Amino acid sequence: MNHSTNGRSGHSRRVAITVFGHPVFPVLASIPLVCFAGALLTDVVYAQAPNMQWTNFSAWLITAGLVFALFATIVGVIDFFRNARGLLAIAHILLVLGAYVIELFNIFVHSRDAYTSVVPTGLTLSIIAVVLLIVGNWLGASLRYRHAQGVVA
Amino acid sequence: MKYTAYLTVACAALLAGCGGSDTFDRSSQIGPDPVLPEAKQYLIPPFKVAKVIGWEKGETPKAPAGFEVKAFGRDLGGPRQILPLENGDVLVVETKGPGLESPLRPKDFVMGWAMSMAHGSGGGKAPPTNQITLLRDADGDGDPEMRSVLVDDLFSPFGIVYADGTLYVANTDAIVTYPFTPGQTRITAKPRLLTKLPGGPIDHHWTKDLALSPDGTKLFASVGSNSNITENGKEAEKGRAAIWEVDRETGAAREYATGLRNPNGLTFYPGTDTLWTVVNERDELGPNLVPDYMTSVQPGGFYGWPYSYYGQHVDPRVRPQRPDLVAKAIKPDYALSSHVAPLGLAFYSGGSFPTAYAGGAFIGEHGSWDRTHFNGYKVAFVPFTGGKPSGKAQDFLTGFLTGEGSTHGRPVGVAVDRTGALLVADDVGNTVWRVTAKS
Repeated sequence: MNHSTNGRSGHSRRVAITVFGHPVFPVLASIPLVCFAGALLTDVVYAQAPNMQWTNFSAWLITAGLVFALFATIVGVIDFFRNARGLLAIAHILLVLGAYVIELFNIFVHSRDAYTSVVPTGLTLSIIAVVLLIVGNWLGASLRYRHAQGVVA
Repeated sequence: MKYTAYLTVACAALLAGCGGSDTFDRSSQIGPDPVLPEAKQYLIPPFKVAKVIGWEKGETPKAPAGFEVKAFGRDLGGPRQILPLENGDVLVVETKGPGLESPLRPKDFVMGWAMSMAHGSGGGKAPPTNQITLLRDADGDGDPEMRSVLVDDLFSPFGIVYADGTLYVANTDAIVTYPFTPGQTRITAKPRLLTKLPGGPIDHHWTKDLALSPDGTKLFASVGSNSNITENGKEAEKGRAAIWEVDRETGAAREYATGLRNPNGLTFYPGTDTLWTVVNERDELGPNLVPDYMTSVQPGGFYGWPYSYYGQHVDPRVRPQRPDLVAKAIKPDYALSSHVAPLGLAFYSGGSFPTAYAGGAFIGEHGSWDRTHFNGYKVAFVPFTGGKPSGKAQDFLTGFLTGEGSTHGRPVGVAVDRTGALLVADDVGNTVWRVTAKS
């Protein structure tokens, strides 16, 4: 792992933690989204057909997502403070971290026993977190794309 | 190792939305009409277990004035149930959980670690368990002259009944029988299977208690639920949360009463055909829900679990709901306060205690873990008149808790011996206590 820059243009050099020249954060940030989206799916299935295996799936997916969210947060926050903090960057990090915090609450809700581990609070938190995270990751991708094109965020 | 510190995982009052102080009047939940607060669900439910430190020489629990407490047997391996025989022999069932519940959710790993605090021994090498020890006190002075392992290699035993040359033992997965003649100190015969009981997989509530019907033809076996509130799936609950009636000769079994989450202390009220039990009610609805209870058991009766508690109070955590069953759920007779964890019940039929105790119920309360103020950790006494509870529960045997967040022991099974003394099994204290009235 080393610190390097990406982006081609001289006036918008973006600094990121990279491995083999590739920024780490986008890879790490994709894992929680996949896990939380999976948990949302199993939450929906459980709400339709309350078989305990689905909420157990959700609990494990949220836990796995949170583990990688921790690493993504460390890398993401370092990247954030080492770069120009435009509106897009701030919105990006707030949405992503906000989603992670919601999922942190969500794992406690999912640790309740039986139906109320999902309906209504768990399912609601899953929906909110996944929406925030899709938008947040989208903004992050957009941020990197603009930098790559030499457009300052 | 002896840590006097208690464990509390309830520090996340912030996450839990501020737990606040527990000002609830606990005595309002003792008796036939307990006050039931609103059900509350938590991010992190209140949790506090007492670290077990065991008993030093000379330390005993405390009984009311006019009574004396002595250790009847020490260094036992998790004594939980006691069967005093007519000849002065006392059979002590030593047991431990079967450990068949593998973690299913991330929560189970955390809970497993936290609960291990509450069941550790006081230190040193653990005595052998999963056996029945015979303590012989032929002269009735409370100081056994002889000790012998009557039978070993049992599988998480709990209930024990003797009748007509046969010893019935409820392992966690089956009732087995042994030929036994009182006076015998070692059983070498192989066990014979009478009836299989729901054991593993999971086996969440594993203690199976036993009682003999007054006419001697039937055994009654308690089978606790396989979860707190169905979180291990409906399939896991087959035949559970019930009291079974088992034919003594054939082993044929049927469900005698259902909806009893974790029934123990099966005892017929002396001189009647009425079966009584103490029941551990559900957790994680708040420190003061749901009160555990003592009740007479109506044949065919349904007592609510999992759909409702105390009659028609619906539990929001169960799906699908069953309004038809909720409608016929019986309200239990007598609430014992929330999370006291009653596991033992004996009606006083002896002659040596003052008359106020005649016919009343002694209840072994193992003690709470899911509230921030300890509850239980004592033997309670409920007076009875005409075969029905007739007053407030009183503390009878206390002094298990140290007052510093730890406990010396935890009472389970209670029994009255032939001299009228009360015997109390203290599982984590590895002791059987004997309480006598001072003459």
